[in-house]
Amino acid sequence: MQVFVNEKKIEVDDKSNIEQLLLRLGKPLQGCAIAVNQEVINRSAWRKYKLVEGDEISLFQAIAGG
Amino acid sequence: MLFNEMKKHDPLVIANKTFSSRLFTGTGKFNDQKTMIDALSASQSELVTMALKRIDMETKEDNILAPLIKNGLNLLPNTSGARNAKEAIFAAKLAREALQTNWIKLEIHPDPKYLLPDPIETLKAAETLAADGFVILPYVHADPVLCKHLESAGCAAVMPLGAPIGTNKGIRTTDFLEIIIEQANVPVVVDAGIGSPSHAALAMEMGADAVLVNTAMAVAGDPVAMSEAFAKAVQAGRQAYLAGLGGQSNNAMSTSPLTAFLEADSIKGGK
Repeated sequence: MQVFVNEKKIEVDDKSNIEQLLLRLGKPLQGCAIAVNQEVINRSAWRKYKLVEGDEISLFQAIAGG
Repeated sequence: MLFNEMKKHDPLVIANKTFSSRLFTGTGKFNDQKTMIDALSASQSELVTMALKRIDMETKEDNILAPLIKNGLNLLPNTSGARNAKEAIFAAKLAREALQTNWIKLEIHPDPKYLLPDPIETLKAAETLAADGFVILPYVHADPVLCKHLESAGCAAVMPLGAPIGTNKGIRTTDFLEIIIEQANVPVVVDAGIGSPSHAALAMEMGADAVLVNTAMAVAGDPVAMSEAFAKAVQAGRQAYLAGLGGQSNNAMSTSPLTAFLEADSIKGGK
Protein backbone atom coordinates (compact mmCIF):
# COMPACT_ATOMS: atom_id res chain seq x y z
CA MET A 1 0.00 0.00 0.00
CA GLN A 2 1.03 3.61 -0.36
CA VAL A 3 1.36 6.22 2.36
CA PHE A 4 2.78 9.74 2.27
CA VAL A 5 5.73 10.61 4.47
CA ASN A 6 6.48 14.33 4.55
CA GLU A 7 4.60 14.61 1.24
CA LYS A 8 6.67 11.86 -0.39
CA LYS A 9 4.87 8.73 -1.65
CA ILE A 10 6.25 5.59 0.03
CA GLU A 11 5.35 1.95 -0.62
CA VAL A 12 5.01 -0.09 2.57
CA ASP A 13 3.73 -3.57 3.42
CA ASP A 14 0.05 -3.77 4.26
CA LYS A 15 -0.70 -3.35 7.94
CA SER A 16 2.73 -1.91 8.64
CA ASN A 17 3.08 -0.23 11.99
CA ILE A 18 4.99 2.99 12.66
CA GLU A 19 8.10 1.29 13.96
CA GLN A 20 8.28 -0.84 10.82
CA LEU A 21 7.88 2.28 8.69
CA LEU A 22 10.79 4.01 10.41
CA LEU A 23 12.99 0.96 10.01
CA ARG A 24 11.97 0.74 6.33
CA LEU A 25 12.99 4.41 5.90
CA GLY A 26 16.28 3.87 7.72
CA LYS A 27 15.54 6.66 10.14
CA PRO A 28 16.77 6.52 13.73
CA LEU A 29 14.06 5.86 16.29
CA GLN A 30 15.82 8.08 18.84
CA GLY A 31 14.92 11.75 18.54
CA CYS A 32 12.03 11.14 16.14
CA ALA A 33 8.39 12.13 16.43
CA ILE A 34 5.49 11.09 14.24
CA ALA A 35 2.10 12.50 13.44
CA VAL A 36 -0.41 10.58 11.35
CA ASN A 37 -3.00 12.77 9.68
CA GLN A 38 -2.00 15.63 12.00
CA GLU A 39 -2.42 13.52 15.16
CA VAL A 40 0.75 13.07 17.24
CA ILE A 41 1.26 9.36 18.03
CA ASN A 42 2.75 8.45 21.40
CA ARG A 43 6.00 6.56 21.12
CA SER A 44 4.53 3.75 23.25
CA ALA A 45 1.86 3.20 20.59
CA TRP A 46 4.21 3.02 17.59
CA ARG A 47 4.24 -0.78 17.47
CA LYS A 48 0.52 -1.30 17.61
CA TYR A 49 -0.49 1.64 15.39
CA LYS A 50 -1.36 0.13 12.01
CA LEU A 51 -1.04 2.41 9.02
CA VAL A 52 -3.71 2.44 6.34
CA GLU A 53 -3.60 3.27 2.64
CA GLY A 54 -3.18 7.00 1.98
CA ASP A 55 -2.16 7.98 5.52
CA GLU A 56 -0.37 11.30 5.64
CA ILE A 57 2.59 10.89 7.94
CA SER A 58 4.67 13.77 9.25
CA LEU A 59 8.08 12.78 10.46
CA PHE A 60 10.11 15.10 12.68
CA GLN A 61 13.56 14.99 14.16
CA ALA A 62 15.32 16.82 16.98
CA ILE A 63 17.94 19.21 15.65
CA ALA A 64 20.22 21.90 17.04
CA GLY A 65 18.44 25.08 18.08
CA GLY A 66 18.37 27.89 20.61
CA MET B 1 31.21 33.64 51.77
CA LEU B 2 33.18 32.24 48.84
CA PHE B 3 31.37 30.98 45.76
CA ASN B 4 31.72 27.23 46.29
CA GLU B 5 30.37 27.52 49.83
CA MET B 6 27.60 29.90 48.73
CA LYS B 7 26.56 27.57 45.93
CA LYS B 8 25.79 24.74 48.35
CA HIS B 9 22.99 26.79 49.85
CA ASP B 10 21.75 28.26 46.59
CA PRO B 11 20.29 25.62 44.28
CA LEU B 12 18.08 26.60 41.37
CA VAL B 13 14.92 24.53 41.32
CA ILE B 14 12.57 24.51 38.35
CA ALA B 15 9.60 22.15 38.59
CA ASN B 16 11.13 18.88 39.83
CA LYS B 17 14.73 19.52 38.82
CA THR B 18 17.60 21.06 40.74
CA PHE B 19 20.37 22.81 38.82
CA SER B 20 23.76 23.79 40.13
CA SER B 21 24.54 25.87 37.04
CA ARG B 22 22.48 28.98 36.34
CA LEU B 23 23.65 29.16 32.75
CA PHE B 24 21.34 27.52 30.24
CA THR B 25 22.52 27.15 26.69
CA GLY B 26 21.30 26.43 23.20
CA THR B 27 22.68 24.02 20.64
CA GLY B 28 22.15 26.17 17.54
CA LYS B 29 24.62 27.92 15.24
CA PHE B 30 27.78 26.03 16.24
CA ASN B 31 30.08 25.26 13.30
CA ASP B 32 30.33 21.58 14.08
CA GLN B 33 29.20 19.04 16.61
CA LYS B 34 32.52 18.69 18.42
CA THR B 35 32.75 22.43 19.02
CA MET B 36 29.20 22.41 20.34
CA ILE B 37 29.84 19.55 22.76
CA ASP B 38 33.13 21.09 23.98
CA ALA B 39 31.49 24.50 24.40
CA LEU B 40 28.55 23.07 26.34
CA SER B 41 30.98 21.24 28.57
CA ALA B 42 33.01 24.44 29.16
CA SER B 43 29.80 26.31 30.00
CA GLN B 44 28.97 23.75 32.74
CA SER B 45 25.37 24.08 31.62
CA GLU B 46 22.96 21.37 32.68
CA LEU B 47 20.01 22.37 30.49
CA VAL B 48 20.24 22.82 26.73
CA THR B 49 17.64 23.77 24.19
CA MET B 50 16.91 21.89 21.00
CA ALA B 51 14.58 22.43 18.07
CA LEU B 52 12.47 20.11 15.98
CA LYS B 53 12.06 20.01 12.24
CA ARG B 54 10.45 17.97 9.53
CA ILE B 55 12.89 15.35 8.32
CA ASP B 56 14.22 15.87 4.84
CA MET B 57 13.66 12.47 3.23
CA GLU B 58 16.51 12.92 0.76
CA THR B 59 19.37 13.66 3.13
CA LYS B 60 20.87 11.93 6.11
CA GLU B 61 21.08 14.24 9.07
CA ASP B 62 23.43 14.19 12.02
CA ASN B 63 21.98 12.77 15.18
CA ILE B 64 23.05 15.40 17.71
CA LEU B 65 20.92 13.88 20.43
CA ALA B 66 23.19 10.97 21.34
CA PRO B 67 26.20 13.03 22.54
CA LEU B 68 23.94 15.35 24.55
CA ILE B 69 22.31 12.44 26.36
CA LYS B 70 25.69 10.78 26.86
CA ASN B 71 26.93 13.95 28.59
CA GLY B 72 23.98 13.84 30.97
CA LEU B 73 22.42 17.08 29.81
CA ASN B 74 18.78 17.87 30.43
CA LEU B 75 16.99 18.71 27.19
CA LEU B 76 14.67 21.64 26.69
CA PRO B 77 12.98 21.34 23.31
CA ASN B 78 11.55 24.53 21.87
CA THR B 79 8.57 25.29 19.69
CA SER B 80 10.56 27.52 17.38
CA GLY B 81 8.82 27.97 14.05
CA ALA B 82 5.35 28.01 15.60
CA ARG B 83 3.36 31.08 14.55
CA ASN B 84 0.34 30.59 16.79
CA ALA B 85 -0.89 28.62 19.80
CA LYS B 86 -2.21 25.73 17.72
CA GLU B 87 1.14 25.16 16.01
CA ALA B 88 3.03 25.51 19.28
CA ILE B 89 0.84 22.90 20.99
CA PHE B 90 1.40 20.52 18.07
CA ALA B 91 5.16 21.17 18.22
CA ALA B 92 5.22 20.63 22.00
CA LYS B 93 3.48 17.25 21.67
CA LEU B 94 5.93 16.20 18.95
CA ALA B 95 8.87 17.35 21.07
CA ARG B 96 7.60 15.34 24.04
CA GLU B 97 7.66 12.18 21.92
CA ALA B 98 10.94 12.95 20.19
CA LEU B 99 12.91 13.78 23.31
CA GLN B 100 10.87 11.96 25.94
CA THR B 101 10.56 15.01 28.16
CA ASN B 102 7.56 17.06 29.18
CA TRP B 103 9.73 20.21 29.45
CA ILE B 104 9.06 22.74 26.73
CA LYS B 105 10.44 26.15 25.87
CA LEU B 106 7.31 27.75 24.52
CA GLU B 107 8.14 30.29 21.84
CA ILE B 108 5.74 31.71 19.32
CA HIS B 109 7.05 34.35 16.97
CA PRO B 110 5.00 35.03 13.89
CA ASP B 111 7.28 37.78 12.55
CA PRO B 112 10.56 36.48 11.08
CA LYS B 113 12.28 39.89 11.05
CA TYR B 114 12.35 40.59 14.79
CA LEU B 115 11.22 37.20 16.12
CA LEU B 116 9.30 38.93 18.88
CA PRO B 117 7.10 36.61 20.91
CA ASP B 118 3.33 36.81 20.50
CA PRO B 119 1.95 37.36 24.02
CA ILE B 120 -1.66 36.42 23.31
CA GLU B 121 -0.90 33.16 21.53
CA THR B 122 1.77 32.30 24.12
CA LEU B 123 -0.68 32.64 27.00
CA LYS B 124 -3.30 30.58 25.15
CA ALA B 125 -0.80 27.82 24.43
CA ALA B 126 0.52 27.88 28.01
CA GLU B 127 -2.96 27.31 29.43
CA THR B 128 -3.54 24.28 27.19
CA LEU B 129 -0.08 22.78 27.69
CA ALA B 130 -0.21 23.20 31.47
CA ALA B 131 -3.45 21.23 31.55
CA ASP B 132 -1.66 18.51 29.56
CA GLY B 133 1.13 18.20 32.16
CA PHE B 134 3.91 20.09 30.41
CA VAL B 135 6.65 21.91 32.33
CA ILE B 136 6.48 25.20 30.46
CA LEU B 137 9.19 27.83 30.16
CA PRO B 138 7.70 30.55 27.97
CA TYR B 139 9.86 32.97 25.98
CA VAL B 140 8.21 36.37 26.31
CA HIS B 141 8.80 40.07 26.03
CA ALA B 142 9.87 41.69 29.31
CA ASP B 143 6.24 42.31 30.22
CA PRO B 144 5.59 42.07 33.97
CA VAL B 145 1.80 41.74 33.59
CA LEU B 146 2.11 38.93 31.05
CA CYS B 147 4.65 37.14 33.25
CA LYS B 148 2.16 37.11 36.15
CA HIS B 149 -0.54 35.73 33.85
CA LEU B 150 1.82 32.98 32.68
CA GLU B 151 2.70 32.17 36.27
CA SER B 152 -1.02 31.85 37.09
CA ALA B 153 -1.47 29.65 34.02
CA GLY B 154 0.96 27.17 35.55
CA CYS B 155 4.28 27.96 33.87
CA ALA B 156 7.31 26.61 35.73
CA ALA B 157 9.41 29.69 34.96
CA VAL B 158 9.30 32.76 32.75
CA MET B 159 11.88 33.68 30.13
CA PRO B 160 11.73 37.39 29.35
CA LEU B 161 14.02 38.77 26.65
CA GLY B 162 16.92 41.16 27.08
CA ALA B 163 16.84 42.08 23.37
CA PRO B 164 15.61 40.36 20.19
CA ILE B 165 16.91 36.82 19.54
CA GLY B 166 20.42 36.60 18.17
CA THR B 167 21.09 40.35 18.22
CA ASN B 168 23.77 40.26 20.96
CA LYS B 169 22.54 43.72 22.04
CA GLY B 170 22.48 42.90 25.74
CA ILE B 171 19.99 43.80 28.45
CA ARG B 172 17.82 46.53 26.89
CA THR B 173 14.82 45.82 29.08
CA THR B 174 16.42 46.46 32.46
CA ASP B 175 13.62 48.41 34.16
CA PHE B 176 10.99 45.83 33.21
CA LEU B 177 13.15 42.85 34.10
CA GLU B 178 13.58 44.38 37.56
CA ILE B 179 9.79 44.48 38.00
CA ILE B 180 9.42 40.91 36.71
CA ILE B 181 12.11 39.67 39.09
CA GLU B 182 10.60 41.54 42.02
CA GLN B 183 7.11 40.12 41.43
CA ALA B 184 7.85 36.59 40.27
CA ASN B 185 7.04 33.50 42.31
CA VAL B 186 8.65 31.28 39.68
CA PRO B 187 12.25 31.42 38.44
CA VAL B 188 13.07 34.19 35.96
CA VAL B 189 15.42 33.15 33.16
CA VAL B 190 16.63 36.03 31.02
CA ASP B 191 16.70 34.78 27.46
CA ALA B 192 17.69 36.30 24.14
CA GLY B 193 19.94 39.20 23.31
CA ILE B 194 22.70 38.38 25.79
CA GLY B 195 25.78 39.05 23.69
CA SER B 196 28.68 39.07 26.12
CA PRO B 197 29.60 37.75 29.55
CA SER B 198 29.10 41.22 31.04
CA HIS B 199 25.47 41.20 29.86
CA ALA B 200 24.96 37.84 31.57
CA ALA B 201 26.61 39.11 34.74
CA LEU B 202 24.35 42.16 34.74
CA ALA B 203 21.21 40.02 34.49
CA MET B 204 22.44 37.86 37.37
CA GLU B 205 23.37 40.88 39.51
CA MET B 206 19.82 42.12 39.02
CA GLY B 207 18.56 38.90 40.59
CA ALA B 208 17.64 36.83 37.56
CA ASP B 209 17.58 33.16 38.52
CA ALA B 210 19.36 32.07 35.34
CA VAL B 211 20.21 33.18 31.83
CA LEU B 212 19.97 31.39 28.50
CA VAL B 213 22.77 32.05 26.03
CA ASN B 214 23.28 30.53 22.59
CA THR B 215 24.32 32.83 19.76
CA ALA B 216 27.00 34.71 21.69
CA MET B 217 28.80 31.45 22.46
CA ALA B 218 28.25 29.73 19.12
CA VAL B 219 29.44 32.59 16.90
CA ALA B 220 32.40 33.66 19.05
CA GLY B 221 35.91 33.42 17.59
CA ASP B 222 36.59 30.66 20.11
CA PRO B 223 33.24 29.24 21.23
CA VAL B 224 34.74 26.98 23.89
CA ALA B 225 36.67 29.82 25.55
CA MET B 226 33.65 32.11 25.33
CA SER B 227 31.44 29.49 26.95
CA GLU B 228 33.80 29.24 29.89
CA ALA B 229 33.85 33.05 30.13
CA PHE B 230 30.05 33.01 30.32
CA ALA B 231 30.14 30.39 33.06
CA LYS B 232 32.42 32.63 35.12
CA ALA B 233 30.32 35.72 34.47
CA VAL B 234 27.12 33.99 35.56
CA GLN B 235 28.80 32.77 38.73
CA ALA B 236 30.22 36.24 39.45
CA GLY B 237 26.87 37.88 38.82
CA ARG B 238 25.04 35.46 41.09
CA GLN B 239 27.64 35.81 43.82
CA ALA B 240 27.43 39.62 43.61
CA TYR B 241 23.63 39.47 43.87
CA LEU B 242 23.80 37.23 46.94
CA ALA B 243 26.56 39.33 48.47
CA GLY B 244 24.33 42.42 48.25
CA LEU B 245 25.38 45.25 45.97
CA GLY B 246 26.10 48.65 47.49
CA GLY B 247 23.58 51.41 46.89
CA GLN B 248 24.02 54.16 44.30
CA SER B 249 24.07 57.87 44.94
CA ASN B 250 24.30 61.05 42.89
CA ASN B 251 26.91 62.71 45.11
CA ALA B 252 30.47 61.44 45.36
CA MET B 253 31.23 59.49 48.51
CA SER B 254 34.90 59.45 49.37
CA THR B 255 36.58 56.08 49.77
CA SER B 256 39.52 57.70 51.64
CA PRO B 257 39.35 59.85 54.76
CA LEU B 258 39.39 63.55 53.77
CA THR B 259 42.42 64.85 55.63
CA ALA B 260 43.44 68.49 55.65
CA PHE B 261 47.15 67.98 54.99
CA LEU B 262 47.11 69.75 51.61
CA GLU B 263 45.73 72.96 53.04
CA ALA B 264 48.16 75.87 53.33
CA ASP B 265 48.06 76.00 57.12
CA SER B 266 48.93 72.35 57.50
CA ILE B 267 51.94 72.71 55.13
CA LYS B 268 53.27 75.53 57.25
CA GLY B 269 52.96 73.35 60.26
CA GLY B 270 49.57 74.64 61.34
CA LYS B 271 48.70 76.89 64.20
